[in-house]
Amino acid sequence: MKPPSLGEFEELVLLMVAALHDEAYGVAILESLETKLDKKVNISAIHVALKRMEEKGFVKSRFGGITSDRGGRRKKFYVITAFGKQALDQQYSIRTEIYQQIPEISFN
Amino acid sequence: MRPDPPHRAIKFLRWFCREDFIEEVEGDLVEIFEMQYEVSPQKARRKFYWSVLKYFRPEFLKMFSSQNSNFLTMQRHNLKLTIRSFLKYRSQFLINLIGLSTAIAAVLFIYLWVNDELEMDKFHQKDEQLFQIYSNHSDASGISTWRGVPGLLKDELVTVSEIETSTVFTDTHEFTLSSNDSYFRAEGKFADSSFFDIFSYELFPSGDKNPLKDESGIVISEALALKLFGSTDVIGKNITWHFWEKQKEVFVRGVMKDTPNASSDQFDFIMSWEFYHNMIEYKQWGNYYARIVVALNDPKNQQNAATQIDKILKKNLESDRVTLFLKKYSDQYLYNNYENGKEAGGRIEYVRLFSIVAFFILFIACINFINLSTAKATQRTKEISVKKTLGASRPSLINQHLTESVLISVASMFLALCLVWVFLPQFNLVSGKTLSFDFTWEFGLAASSVIVFVGLIAGSYPALYLSSFNPIALLKGKLSKGKGEVRGRQVLVVIQFALSIILIVAVIVVQGQMSFLQNKNLGYDRDNIIYFEREGKILENSETVINELKQVNGVEGAALSGFIIGGGNSTGGVDWEGKTEEDQIQFWEIKAGMGMLELMGMEMAAGREFTEEFSVDSASVIINETALEAMGMEDPIGKTITHYTGDKKIVGVVKDFNLISLHTKIEPMIILYNPKETHFVIAKLEKGNEAKAIAGIEEVYKEINPGYVFKPQFLDQDYEALYKAEQRVSSLAKYFSGLAILISCLGLFGLSAFTLERRTKEIGIRKVLGAGQFSILYLLSGDFTKMILIGIIISLPVSYYLADQWLANFAFHIPLSWWIFVVAGLSALFVAWLTVSIQTIKAANTNPVNSLKDE
Repeated sequence: MKPPSLGEFEELVLLMVAALHDEAYGVAILESLETKLDKKVNISAIHVALKRMEEKGFVKSRFGGITSDRGGRRKKFYVITAFGKQALDQQYSIRTEIYQQIPEISFN
Repeated sequence: MRPDPPHRAIKFLRWFCREDFIEEVEGDLVEIFEMQYEVSPQKARRKFYWSVLKYFRPEFLKMFSSQNSNFLTMQRHNLKLTIRSFLKYRSQFLINLIGLSTAIAAVLFIYLWVNDELEMDKFHQKDEQLFQIYSNHSDASGISTWRGVPGLLKDELVTVSEIETSTVFTDTHEFTLSSNDSYFRAEGKFADSSFFDIFSYELFPSGDKNPLKDESGIVISEALALKLFGSTDVIGKNITWHFWEKQKEVFVRGVMKDTPNASSDQFDFIMSWEFYHNMIEYKQWGNYYARIVVALNDPKNQQNAATQIDKILKKNLESDRVTLFLKKYSDQYLYNNYENGKEAGGRIEYVRLFSIVAFFILFIACINFINLSTAKATQRTKEISVKKTLGASRPSLINQHLTESVLISVASMFLALCLVWVFLPQFNLVSGKTLSFDFTWEFGLAASSVIVFVGLIAGSYPALYLSSFNPIALLKGKLSKGKGEVRGRQVLVVIQFALSIILIVAVIVVQGQMSFLQNKNLGYDRDNIIYFEREGKILENSETVINELKQVNGVEGAALSGFIIGGGNSTGGVDWEGKTEEDQIQFWEIKAGMGMLELMGMEMAAGREFTEEFSVDSASVIINETALEAMGMEDPIGKTITHYTGDKKIVGVVKDFNLISLHTKIEPMIILYNPKETHFVIAKLEKGNEAKAIAGIEEVYKEINPGYVFKPQFLDQDYEALYKAEQRVSSLAKYFSGLAILISCLGLFGLSAFTLERRTKEIGIRKVLGAGQFSILYLLSGDFTKMILIGIIISLPVSYYLADQWLANFAFHIPLSWWIFVVAGLSALFVAWLTVSIQTIKAANTNPVNSLKDE
């Protein structure tokens, strides 16, 4: 069976989930991504990516405790799974491999 | 204080978003909102809305249909319950089924009829472009509208740029055709060669492309070809056309398909207009003998074209009394009445009337359904409250009851379709149509919209009402039967009966007027008078024919006549002494032979009839009383009037008789002595001896005029044909109002059965306490009587108004007397009592022990 695919934006979100480890929830991911990418991202896009990856088994989620923030609504935290990490590694190795094949080109 | 995120956006989000996602999504959104709120509240709100909208995508949507995951199971359950309830309350189910299916059948019949009426003449491909030229003639009595125009107009029409093509033709008339010495009567007309370009009557390709281009061409229908030659391969065969003293040999240049039923003009052959136009002598701009239909480039140019056409007439005719106008060809059938030059309805009124009746009937049947279901509610409260307690939502209960009503309306529709299929031949007989029951998609659409209409209208109130009960109160046994609910049912019954009474009044009035028309003394005798056309040898030997006919056993008299019920010719070309400009009068013109007036039982007010003793009658004329009054002449006998054929001496004044129809007043009339040009032979038959007399006349006819078809016609049948439309409407109305009353009574029957069932205990106790049968009867029928009385009071003014309107269509009509309304009201009351009493008497007679023994 072919492993499920990983889109570009999904990969970014997944990296961010892995990076934030245990503190990754919608708004946190959004903010970090916006600073890193230096552009506006809509929260809905992040949610879509998270839901898709959860379905594919790259991340898993749990609810946090009730606080007085957010009108009493719980946060939903995401962590990367072993399978997700494997997918990231694979993606990373493929890219590096190809990158290393680039001959020395001078653009001057 | 924390800022509130937009309330509406959250509501919307909660409505569509999956429940397992909502907390997270909402939380994140609110967090972002709160952060941005500190920067700019407005922007935050906008952003919030925008983000919510962005969630509106498949991944986040609720599975709306899977909300009730066992949807199909529920439907099956509903179906089962519905069928069970049908079986349990069988009588109620049957009442609903019979009521609804007869109502739907009536509606379908009316739909077929109305549809057929509306489609009349619309089959022509150029329908949108076709317009007929009409002429408005004004004289002292007002404006009269005719279809006729001068035939000379046709050639001038090429100058009107708005007109694409035009065709000129005559009305359809019955002629004799012969081929190889066998004679046939057939309906035909004359038309020019563009007739087939304008109208979509289909020609078989075997014939000439342009079959009417010269005088000797004829186009015959398939049916006529089969009748004349026994084959449709008849191109080039010759036929002789006869009319009066004229004959013409023509050749078949084309065969056309029989005129479709949707054509208001039914004919079997067409001959060349050129031949007709060369034959007639009255080719003048002042004579309106032709019919012209034009095809406009663009229907929007109707007004322009009409002005142009009118200008042509004005240029050629020195008179401003006539105006030409255009009327859409396919509108003529439905909008055929004119009053003083203005369009005044026509058949369209009956189309509207029946559409309303259809709606009434369906409505009455729906009321039955509503009444019976809400009444039944008391018996189903347990079921509903148990369901509610177990968590059934209101929509699911509504759904269940709508299933029930839609199911019953589907069942009724099937039954109705069977009824329509079975009774269609009878309906065609009554309505005089040849409707067929083809299952077209339009019909399917109509049928399914009736199902939906009935299912929803009849079902929605009970469904809403039943599902609104409070289960706790219900289970405790307290069904709050507010006064309002009972009142609501009563109001519906009142409406039902009011509608029924209106229909009863309508039937009585229409029937009364019809029999009034049939028995009205017209001023002449139309019973037992037959007439036939003068043709062949009868033209030359008319004296002999009349004499021989008088000898026939059973014939009281015979004469030559030009009398035609419904009119004939009319002329403005009469002058008299003292005539002024304002006295422009149109006279009906009748040609007569000797003794015609006496034979037809017309009475003379003064002077004498044309008789044998006076041999100079060729220059004499008889006028009617209206003409005398219109001319303002005193002591007319012996005076001279100038007719366009010469001076005529007035020899008599005939008492007014009704020539045209009772829709119109009696108009001025002159009767000319001109036996040579009369078209008919009339004969009066002895009462009770008609068949023998006709056989005798036929013998004489065959002997003198061998080969020709003897086709006698009865004058009273012609007369009745004038009122065919009313006659048909009257019999249709009779059936439909009968249905309406039947359906109302069915409802009343069901309702009274229900009431009695609920009151059995009460009746039992009353009887135990000594109430007599009569007082119980009084008690039980009192309620219903009250409702019907209110219904009567409401319906009387409405029906009076409607009847008055309808009768205004007739110049002579019956008075609207009070007894009509009394009869209508009493008969409704009587029928209702009868319906209720079957059950009340049974209830009043039951032994109280039986009704009280169990609790």
